Amino acid sequence: MRMIFNINKSLASRIVFYVLTFCVFLFLISLSVFYFFSKKQIEEMTFKNAEAIANNTVYKTEQVLNPITKITNNYKWIIENSDLSSDSVYSITRRIVENNPEIMGSAIAFEPDFFKDQGHYFSPYSFRENGIIKTIQLGNPEYEYFVMDWFQIPMTLEKPYWTEPYYDTGGGNVLMTTYSVPFFRTINGKRKAVGIITMDLALDWFTTIVSGVKILETGYASVISRNGTFITHPNKDWIMNQSVFSVANELNSTELRNIGREMQKGKTDFVSSTLRGVERKMYFTPLPSSNWTLAVIFPKAEMYLPLRGITIILIILVSIGLILLTFIVTKIVSEQLSPLSHFAKSAHEVAEGNFNADLPEIKTQDEMKNLYDSFFHMQKDLKKYIENLKQTTSAKEKIESELRIAREIQMGMIPKIFPPFPDMTEIDLFAMMEPAREVGGDLYDFFLIDDRHLCFAIGDVSGKGVPASLFMAITRTLLRTVAPNQQSPRLIVNMLNKSLSQGNDSSMFVTFFIGILNVETGHLRYVNAGHNPPAIIHAGGKIETFEITKDIPIGLFDSFDYEEKERTILKDDRIFMYTDGITEAENWDQELFTEERLIQSLLSARTLEPVEIVMSVARDVVIHVNDCLQSDDLTMMCILYRGK
Amino acid sequence: MALEKGFYTQEGIDVKIVHPSASVMATERLESEQSDIISLFLVSALSMKNRGLDMVNVAQMSQNSALLFVAKKSSNISKLSDLNGKRIGIWESGFDEIPKALINSSNYKVTWVPILSTINLFMLDGIDAMTVMLYNEFDQIINAGINPEELNTFLCSDFGYNIPEDGLYCLNKTWLTRKEDLQKFVRASLKGWEYAKENKQETLDVVLNLMKEEHIPTNLAHQKWMLDKMLELIEPGTKNVKKGELSESDFHKTQSILIEEGYIEKKINLTEFYKPVLGN
Repeated sequence: MRMIFNINKSLASRIVFYVLTFCVFLFLISLSVFYFFSKKQIEEMTFKNAEAIANNTVYKTEQVLNPITKITNNYKWIIENSDLSSDSVYSITRRIVENNPEIMGSAIAFEPDFFKDQGHYFSPYSFRENGIIKTIQLGNPEYEYFVMDWFQIPMTLEKPYWTEPYYDTGGGNVLMTTYSVPFFRTINGKRKAVGIITMDLALDWFTTIVSGVKILETGYASVISRNGTFITHPNKDWIMNQSVFSVANELNSTELRNIGREMQKGKTDFVSSTLRGVERKMYFTPLPSSNWTLAVIFPKAEMYLPLRGITIILIILVSIGLILLTFIVTKIVSEQLSPLSHFAKSAHEVAEGNFNADLPEIKTQDEMKNLYDSFFHMQKDLKKYIENLKQTTSAKEKIESELRIAREIQMGMIPKIFPPFPDMTEIDLFAMMEPAREVGGDLYDFFLIDDRHLCFAIGDVSGKGVPASLFMAITRTLLRTVAPNQQSPRLIVNMLNKSLSQGNDSSMFVTFFIGILNVETGHLRYVNAGHNPPAIIHAGGKIETFEITKDIPIGLFDSFDYEEKERTILKDDRIFMYTDGITEAENWDQELFTEERLIQSLLSARTLEPVEIVMSVARDVVIHVNDCLQSDDLTMMCILYRGK
Repeated sequence: MALEKGFYTQEGIDVKIVHPSASVMATERLESEQSDIISLFLVSALSMKNRGLDMVNVAQMSQNSALLFVAKKSSNISKLSDLNGKRIGIWESGFDEIPKALINSSNYKVTWVPILSTINLFMLDGIDAMTVMLYNEFDQIINAGINPEELNTFLCSDFGYNIPEDGLYCLNKTWLTRKEDLQKFVRASLKGWEYAKENKQETLDVVLNLMKEEHIPTNLAHQKWMLDKMLELIEPGTKNVKKGELSESDFHKTQSILIEEGYIEKKINLTEFYKPVLGN
């Protein structure tokens, strides 16, 4: 049972369980087939045996009965063909008994008044009594033999007749039967029966023969008279008392009654009948000379007793075999599969980090060996891989840490305190920068050159990541170095360009917009070196962009002279600057945010403070990209000119 | 059962039951005073009385006729008139009066074939029909393998001949001198029948044992049938008498039949014949 409970846990148990189930199934099938065919065979053999026994018994009894009929017929012939005197009849009966030891008595009985000199009754009868043969005349008014079966029936039917068996009148328990044959005379030209010649026969020999029949354990033979009465039967009380029909009546068995009727018809048949809950098989056949029936009866179940024995032995043997098989298969399978649990343990250890976990020793060259090899290689490769991974991870972690520091440095380079000039009421300013990676290539900056002039710039370095960030840092540092001493954006940009172009082996560049705003007059001087033109949100709500200039990004040609432009910013105008990360922000469908959307976004936020405008645009960009990976740095700056 | 259960002893009488043999008839035993009381058919008793045997009926046990003709359907006898011209087996030793009276009253010409007691001649078609007792030979025929539905039966009672059968008889002399003993005997006998009716299985066991001791072939099925039929026969049914009593009209009817058939010559009075010992 443990095995069954464990079949889901152990491969060996499962294999053993399936093998055993199949074996048991195979055995049951084989046993059923064996049982079925053996049963049929046994039935056939038993039926043949019963038939043979019955026929043999019939033969034996006929060996005795047949001579009786012959002797009787011989004497019948003598009586019919000789003109006997009444006296000579006595000597004939005597001679019959004398010459035939098996005959207990013999009568020659004539119809009433046959011999004029003998009167109404004439029936000489010789019989054995205590070893002596006596001869008497049977008939008298007290013994009206004319109405007795032995006389009346053959006379009436004009046919030989075996009487129903009877106990002899001597009070003994000897069962007798009488064979009566009518003899004929031609009187007045008409042949008619005039008397009966009888042979009395004791049936003890007959009982002995039939009682000697044994079939199977309790099977027996029985002889049944023409009326169905039992003449022989293992149950002595039944003899002459019960008939097939009275037994059928007592047992309420129509089946048995019908069998009895078939017997009376002189049929031979094999039948079964269930009596008192036991199904019995019965073979019956007539005794030809007497019209009695011999039946061989045996309980059906007894037929199968030997088969049952063999089957039990077979079941025991196979059960032992199955137990041994279980044992052996379990042992073999467990042995064969034992490395698996070792492998499992090793795999567990490997999983926990012990790459040196030992593997089971495999001596075979089979699948287990393949598994070992694979496992071994896996273990080796894994070890190598994990070591590599460790190194890589550590390197990556280092880089990440450096980048984190770089970001902090970068972010520290741009002003982040808002409002930046709380005392300066003329302007309000807000800016933000969000690198796509740890560090970015965008920049913005603003500072006061003097108490009237605000310098502000926004730029976008070509490329991304660390190189761009370094270039951004250089640009911003140069700006802070150059700008405070210059009043002209053009000169600032020219200087920046010159510095950045020299030794720029990697050909990096930066689009750049720089403006210097006179906060008192709103006069703005600016240079746009290839940067997205900023937008101006006028106090009336109109939005316009700065014109597109022919100036190239800085860092490309050191001698390029940038053009400075100027314009006046009116009171409550808002300058909005941005990098292309805003307009080129992509969503999942690779749709760009575009300048149109930016303008829309600005329109909806046009009356707001700079911080709110920047945040509003940032929100619109976030909504547009919808979680799509940020591909470029996002930088915005907005200046509200309040004027004096 | 009266003897078996000691009802006779309880009444204070010592009873021995003797079965008449083929050679010694019951009436002979009565006449020679070997037996005090005998059982006899009403018709036989009337004949004997007529012949001068001075005996009286002290109790009429059977109230109904158990006699019938039986024929195999295969012999094409399906109504009583079909018996005309046929060979009918009938007991050589008696009980033949009523069947013969029935046939004669119908003016059928039949060949009466005397038989001893077996059904074998009938079974072998040596005769076309035979008279049987419902409780005995009829069942023997069934127990010899012929199914009831293969037989046609003609009960004498169905043709106006429901003549009572067994009664208890004693010599007039005995009646005069030992009336008390007779009363005791009849009372115990009736009690015996009542007991048998209430205790059929026990009764059957007793009968089967007795028969086994006497080496008389029989079996339970047949005895059961016989007991059931006998118990039916002693019931008066619609007759205006109690159990054990002789109906006056039955007496007169039987006497008329016997006179008509020539069995007896002169009528006798009921009071001369029937002297019940119980009741009034």
